[in-house]
Amino acid sequence: MRYLMTTKPTDAAPDEKLYAEMAAFIEEMTAAGVLLATGGLEPGGIRVTSFGDTITVTDGPFAEAKEAVAGFALVEVRSKEEAIELTRRFRAIVGDGESVIQQVFGP
Amino acid sequence: MIDAVWKLESARIVAGLTRMVHDVGLAEELAQDALVAALEQWPESGIPDNPGAWLTAIAKRRAVDHIRRSQRLERKHEQLAYELDQQRDPERDDVLRLMFISCHPALPTEARVALTLRLLGGLTAEEIARAFLVSEQRIIQRIAGAKRTLAEERVPFELPDGSELAERLSSVLEVIYLIFNEGYSATSGDDLMRPGLCLEALRLGRMLAELAPHEAEVHGLVALMEIQSSRSAARTGPSGEPVQLHEQNRGRWDQLLIRRGFTAMLRAREVGGTPGPYVLQAAIAVCHAQARTAEDTDWAQIAALYEALARLLPTPIVQLNRAVAVGMAHGPQEGLALVDSLIADPALRDYHLLPGVRGDLLVRLGRHAEARLEFERGASLARNVAERAFLRRRADEITVTGSPGATLGQAARDFLARDDLDAVTIRSYGQTLRRMCLTLGEHMPLASLTADQVARVFATAWDEAAAKTWNRHRSAVRSFGAWASMDLATGLDRRAETRPRAETIGSAQLDALWSRPDLPLRERTLWRLLHESAAAVTAVLSLNVEHLDLDDRRARAGDAWVSWRSGTARLLPHLLAGRTRGPLFLADRRPGPSRMPAAADLCPDTGRGRLSYERAEYLFKQATKSLDPAGGGYTLRQLKPRA
Repeated sequence: MRYLMTTKPTDAAPDEKLYAEMAAFIEEMTAAGVLLATGGLEPGGIRVTSFGDTITVTDGPFAEAKEAVAGFALVEVRSKEEAIELTRRFRAIVGDGESVIQQVFGP
Repeated sequence: MIDAVWKLESARIVAGLTRMVHDVGLAEELAQDALVAALEQWPESGIPDNPGAWLTAIAKRRAVDHIRRSQRLERKHEQLAYELDQQRDPERDDVLRLMFISCHPALPTEARVALTLRLLGGLTAEEIARAFLVSEQRIIQRIAGAKRTLAEERVPFELPDGSELAERLSSVLEVIYLIFNEGYSATSGDDLMRPGLCLEALRLGRMLAELAPHEAEVHGLVALMEIQSSRSAARTGPSGEPVQLHEQNRGRWDQLLIRRGFTAMLRAREVGGTPGPYVLQAAIAVCHAQARTAEDTDWAQIAALYEALARLLPTPIVQLNRAVAVGMAHGPQEGLALVDSLIADPALRDYHLLPGVRGDLLVRLGRHAEARLEFERGASLARNVAERAFLRRRADEITVTGSPGATLGQAARDFLARDDLDAVTIRSYGQTLRRMCLTLGEHMPLASLTADQVARVFATAWDEAAAKTWNRHRSAVRSFGAWASMDLATGLDRRAETRPRAETIGSAQLDALWSRPDLPLRERTLWRLLHESAAAVTAVLSLNVEHLDLDDRRARAGDAWVSWRSGTARLLPHLLAGRTRGPLFLADRRPGPSRMPAAADLCPDTGRGRLSYERAEYLFKQATKSLDPAGGGYTLRQLKPRA
């Protein structure tokens, strides 16, 4: 089963050590076939809303930046518990903050 | 949660421990101890920050305790200190070693599969049992038996090198692909796929690709599995029926997995060398994955790849796939010619895809009535429910005009229902006719049955059988032909039965037997001893360790002597492995409380009973089936050399 892990932005600036640990972690998970895709997301982005017949396109940044998503990882695991365990490892590397895990259905 | 950590970490933990204690079984017990400690402590203390390291530390502490308790304290300590020193990166190698051990050729294939899923995948016996639809008890026994064999054979915990590496690696690849295929095209049961097993196999393959990056075949296997998995959503329809490759909705192919497959293929190409069977199969899978529609498929390329594959791996199934590719690339007539050349192959006798493929080609040639018969025959051979329904549907889709008349199956039933045959004859004739219905299809019109077809059934089914068996089936067909007023047995000669079955086993067969690498030590010793001593089987099985005179190469059995030569003498010390009393040949397991034998038949040290005649005979029969031209296997008595 697949899970999407999304991470919210934090104020802390990443240091050398974090980059190194993260790179090792990503490499290990990719090699094991657990990590299918991962990436960081630009702050803000573009918002597209539809209401009735009207579609509105708004450029960021937006006020509620804390609720946005800063990065994602798509993982293939045996169970929800494995997804949680992987996210624990990820959080142990990145420090304070918050991630959300959701199962991906389909295609 | 603990289970998830365990599955992620167990391979590394068990591998590291095996390096320390040199015994897979013990290593796994120690690791399990650590797991139990986690189950006790974590609910109270919470999960540690690095659960894997926690488990490893506890398990290693137990291992050190164990080594301390064991007798060779000093030496082990030095060794341990040295090994702990060396322990920096060899963790990866340890896991690789563990893979080689789990897939060791000394183990039967089923045991390799179970042990690999257990030790490398971290699966419980119950999970493995569920995946393979067998009882948990069977899996527990398989794993225990495998560990025992590894200990008895003293299989070293090391990386094979040189020519051995290639051979051992192919055994590992085979086990992984077997697990994958059991998940991808379940051979039995109601579901076409068991995705859990595919995922386990993929994990093992990816793990191996990291551990042995310079082996093209490893990357080939990974590419093959990734691309095959990419189609899993598309290959079953809404009600679970199989959807053939060319009819699949390619939009449902998982592009992520396809991309991973391509990447693995590139890595295989970087390694270089002559493409092996997995790389070739992956290349075929890549051809399919690259075609945007079924019509775009480069069949000529695929046919060429299959031709190369058939040279390396001339199995009937590869040939059959090659026929499909040739049929697509160069027309159904050429494909059919290839398929027809396979019909006489006994290995494909009951393979449901052969009639399936033949049916497809016949449809394309407009030979609908024949195609329908083939699909019906395929359906009666398929063991998987979904595949059976699929072939049945293909048969029903073809409407054949004209009255078909009596079918072979109906005629056979009418023939057997006569009241002038006795029960024994009906049973015997029934076997013959059932085989004909299975091979030719029971819906085949009786009128179209020819003596040539009957001869073909005989050639694939009973050519290797004893003359007596052949003649029995022959008279059944003659009787059936006479009843139906058809001449069916012209192609069948009566076989001479005068030659009695050889009393002893030929020297060529014996040589083949002794040179087998995978014989368990106990069997090897027993058979050698029987052959060299020419003693009665009961006498040899009754031997006790304390009866043996190893120097004089003889032992007292009752009031006779059993004596042996160098072949047995070389093996005996290994079989004894320090035992000083009790039965020489021991059963695999300890007896259950209800079947406790006399004290004289029990090993006072291990608690295992004496090996029974029945069991020994059964094992020998099984092991010699492939050597015996009659196919039944030999009896232990036949080991006695010619007087």
